[in-house]
Amino acid sequence: MKEKLHPIHIGILIYMTQTAVVILSLPRSLAEHFGTNGWVILIPVSLFVAFNIFVISIVYRMGKGRSVFAVLEQSIPKAVLFPLYLAVGFLWALIGSLVGKQYVLVFQMSSYQSAPPMVFKFVCDFLAWLLINKGIHNIAKASTIFFVMIFWMILLLFYHLSDFSFTRLTPFFFQGETDFWNGLWEVYSSFLGFELSLLLFPYVASKTNMFKAVYAGHFLTSFTYLIVSFVMFGFFSLGQLTSLVNPVIDLLALIQLPFVERIENLLFGFLLYTTLITSVMYFWAAQEAWARVFHCVKPAVLNAFLILSTGLLSLVPKTAEDVRSWLKIFVNIQIGVAIIFPVFLILLLTIQNQKKRVPKNA
Amino acid sequence: MKSLRRLLRFFFRQPAARVRRKENTATSSITPSAPSEKPIAAQVLEQLADCADLVHRTMPELDVQFLYFDHLIGQSLFYQDILYPFSNIKADEVSALLKHSRYEETTDPNVIIDRIMKGFVAIFHAGKAYSVFTFDPAARTVEKSETETVIIGPHDAFVELANTNLSLIRQRVKSPELKVIKLSVGEVSRTDIYVLYIKGIANLDYVNELVSRIQKIETSSVYDGNMLVQFIDDSPFSIFPQFITTERPDSAVSKLISGRVVAIVEGSPSVIVGPTNFFEFFTSPDDYYQRWALGTATRILRFVAFIITITFTAIYVSVTTFHYEMIPEDLLLILTKSRSRVPFPPIIEALLMEVTIELLREAGARLPSKIGQTIGIVGGIVIGQAAVQAGFTSNILIIAVASSAIASFVIPSYIMSASIRLIRFGLIVLAGIWGNLGLMVGIAYIVIQLSGLTSLGASYVTPLAPMVWRDWKDTFIRAPFFMLKHRPSESRSPNPVKTKMRK
Repeated sequence: MKEKLHPIHIGILIYMTQTAVVILSLPRSLAEHFGTNGWVILIPVSLFVAFNIFVISIVYRMGKGRSVFAVLEQSIPKAVLFPLYLAVGFLWALIGSLVGKQYVLVFQMSSYQSAPPMVFKFVCDFLAWLLINKGIHNIAKASTIFFVMIFWMILLLFYHLSDFSFTRLTPFFFQGETDFWNGLWEVYSSFLGFELSLLLFPYVASKTNMFKAVYAGHFLTSFTYLIVSFVMFGFFSLGQLTSLVNPVIDLLALIQLPFVERIENLLFGFLLYTTLITSVMYFWAAQEAWARVFHCVKPAVLNAFLILSTGLLSLVPKTAEDVRSWLKIFVNIQIGVAIIFPVFLILLLTIQNQKKRVPKNA
Repeated sequence: MKSLRRLLRFFFRQPAARVRRKENTATSSITPSAPSEKPIAAQVLEQLADCADLVHRTMPELDVQFLYFDHLIGQSLFYQDILYPFSNIKADEVSALLKHSRYEETTDPNVIIDRIMKGFVAIFHAGKAYSVFTFDPAARTVEKSETETVIIGPHDAFVELANTNLSLIRQRVKSPELKVIKLSVGEVSRTDIYVLYIKGIANLDYVNELVSRIQKIETSSVYDGNMLVQFIDDSPFSIFPQFITTERPDSAVSKLISGRVVAIVEGSPSVIVGPTNFFEFFTSPDDYYQRWALGTATRILRFVAFIITITFTAIYVSVTTFHYEMIPEDLLLILTKSRSRVPFPPIIEALLMEVTIELLREAGARLPSKIGQTIGIVGGIVIGQAAVQAGFTSNILIIAVASSAIASFVIPSYIMSASIRLIRFGLIVLAGIWGNLGLMVGIAYIVIQLSGLTSLGASYVTPLAPMVWRDWKDTFIRAPFFMLKHRPSESRSPNPVKTKMRK
């Protein structure tokens, strides 16, 4: 029975791909780069990302739901495309792997200082491998269950309502030491994941609802980022925010219930699920690209190769800071891919559609 | 060369043309025999030689022979169809009598043998063979179900006799649309299997799928519904049951009406129902017999019980091994005091107690109920108390282990509850190795497994993924009946509306 992806799953999939460990350090990054009331910057960046999604939706409409690979292969010789597929695929797999590594390192830092992180990384990769082998439909199903399991955590913000103070927000915008351009780059990168909707085209059921779902997923991410950052800016002072590595973890650590406290590492455990889906979606995208080249290799073998090779490569950066700087390089390339690739596809499709039209008129 | 080919096959997809599909032929237990010169009665007797329980009666004055198994037939049926008619006629009237529709003429000796095995009486007269249905063996009467008891609602349960089970269902669904397909499984046991569905409500894709899977079974015998399930489920390696089995006719009927397909296995009181989903194992018939608020509360209680079962002991292990900071100060004092004398690491301590509880459960299940109670007292009170006093375990662990064991029995399906109890051990070990992260990894693994499962090709986590809000009213809660308008989306019924209430 060939199922198609339901819009609600696409929305959740995009949400889960976009959110990852970055949410923990996002408020700090906002405070560092934008100063007072840095959370406001999320709104224009989110709208810009929405514009990006709009560009992707044009690709979808022009290509009439065809797979982007099919569109590319129609006009460009495979000799040119295949190295490109391999490169982009490897980039995606590497991002997937590094996102996992970043999570593991943050977890190790907060709870298991003496444990070797690579064992955790291996376990996460193994889980990712299991999930990718089941195909995109089951990834969507799993991400829906994971979503239900983590989304309630946003309610925990209400716990801190009494300690929230508007005076800490200050009436000033973007004051203090700021680094606008780097900051924009970083905030934009925290929304990455939406561009993978390009690869979902062949798996989608209905044409009209797909992008509504992508927008919904994206705006849900924006809402989560916004509300978390807003509460952070009103809970911590600007100075505190810039000096805490992962302020969200510190916020969670302050929750005290009668029978349990310091639940941050339990709650942080839940973030494994969204990280897993982010990783899995990038690995899946990588596999989709590589499968065009190695279509006779079994997907499970291809996935294992991609995960293992990038896993070995991710052994190189040792500290969380190293991983962050590595991620920055690859994420920057990915931002390029996210912005340029859809535009390129639109150009290509325009040419293709014109070619089709010419013989009709003649 | 062979190993190289095997290696290649491991890494690469096989071209579609080269994939050889093994054509599974439906198991036919009877091989057609070559025409023989011997009279049919002699052929049958030859094949049934050395069956001491076979009864062979002759009436030489009428030139009639009877063959049957005494213990398979009902005495009153035998009197009515054999004894009475044949003792009141003369030799020249036999042929006329055998023209009655209840006597069916058969030429194939294998068919006759098959019928004798199924409780027919074979009649031989003038070189011809006839059979008449007299099946009525001694069987357990309809009683309460031991495994699925309810407080309110019907108390009858299925028995080992397929006919009785069919009758229990027909009594509740007086509709000509209730269709029954008869199949046979097991080359030696030739067990009858009846597939039931309601035409116009059940999706025929599921019916055909189930029938074809049952037909593809090639084995010597099947003894129980729960065994049959394991021959036909989608993922044989999974720990989760992929078909629901029930001993309750009301439950089976409600599944039929919701568009599911039901299969009755001869000799088993458990009927199987498919397609099903994970959450269905948490529902019980009495949810519907109580007021909706109570039904809802019990359902939520069961899901809470599920969470307690899989996490309680694991969290204890994780907290006492890695995360002492999670315990508030007052509680910490109690916990450290009770753990201070325990010489083992928490994981050993927890596994020890969990194994003890499983031993008690298994021993209690095997023993008669009166001795079973003693086991409960000895195990629960004596061992529990003594273990703590001896310093083997901490009090808090006993509470965790006991409450997670009790919670596991709240889950109505015994099969599912057993699966979940086994999963718990994995989670405890993971929590012992990696603390909270291990627990989360374990849960992630379970979710990944669950989301990959299907039942008759339908998603196993249905109302959650694919997300169908409409079904949540009858899955996570039990809404009032006027709100339960639709059949579950999983059964993809051609007639989805179930209830139309007047406003």
